[in-house]
Amino acid sequence: MNQSLRFLIVILPILVLVFFTKVLLVDGDIKFSNFESKSFPSFELNDLNGDSVNAQSLDGIKLVNVWASWCITCLVEHPFLTKLAEKNIQIIGLNYKDSDFKANAWLQRHGNPYLFSIYDPRGDLAFDLGVTGAPESYLIVNNQVVGHIQGEMNQTKWETIFLPLITKAKQGS
Amino acid sequence: MIKRYLILFSFFILSTPAFNQMVYEFEDSMQEKRFYSLISEIRCPKCTSGSIASSDVPVSRDLKNKVYELVLDGSTDAEIKKYVSERFGSFSDYRPALEGSNYLLWFGPFIFLALILAIFFINRRI
Repeated sequence: MNQSLRFLIVILPILVLVFFTKVLLVDGDIKFSNFESKSFPSFELNDLNGDSVNAQSLDGIKLVNVWASWCITCLVEHPFLTKLAEKNIQIIGLNYKDSDFKANAWLQRHGNPYLFSIYDPRGDLAFDLGVTGAPESYLIVNNQVVGHIQGEMNQTKWETIFLPLITKAKQGS
Repeated sequence: MIKRYLILFSFFILSTPAFNQMVYEFEDSMQEKRFYSLISEIRCPKCTSGSIASSDVPVSRDLKNKVYELVLDGSTDAEIKKYVSERFGSFSDYRPALEGSNYLLWFGPFIFLALILAIFFINRRI
């Protein structure tokens, strides 16, 4: 066995070790991003009041929030959404696999931060949008999906993920 | 006594998981084969790791039903995977496409192996 092979045997495991230590020490979650910017899927649905809505209702900067009355985490993020609505952030609900009766009752009980809520009882629009469950939030700029958050929306996620995108969108327009 | 056993037995029969599962019916065995290979190659978007075949979360169920529908409609495997990745991102495909930085993923190990073998043989000859 010669010198350079011996060198390789020592150095390779060290390199591998350094690599994995580095990966494991990355702060927070390693983001396996499944987000790719795309245009908002076209749809023809009603809102929870029975009025028809389509993709045209989504121009400008809108926050689309996927929610349901059966969803517990939706209740957790609800106060924060209400706070955003008070700051004139335009939020549109996407009521996901729910019944309109229960959904309306839920809004009546907990307050309604949404401009309107798209009623999607079978989850068709949600499927086209790539929703994996409730709650999820999408940032829409002129019918283009530019941001996506899975799970509860909160101050940190809002400030680190969506706010920079909104600033960028406003600068661009 | 027998009656009691019968009642107990009926509990076992009635609780079979088969009652709980959607049964997929196909026109031919080719479709069935394609369906099962496709659902094992599409990642469950809600899970840390696992295909939609191995998952029973609602979104995986929706995906399986959609794949089933598309298979019956006569879509090709590539079309179905494109349909899913347009909605759930390229992350959803367990077999990464041969493009861009994925070349490193596909061929990296072989390049690495070739390199090691080359070093090994060069050293032996000296």
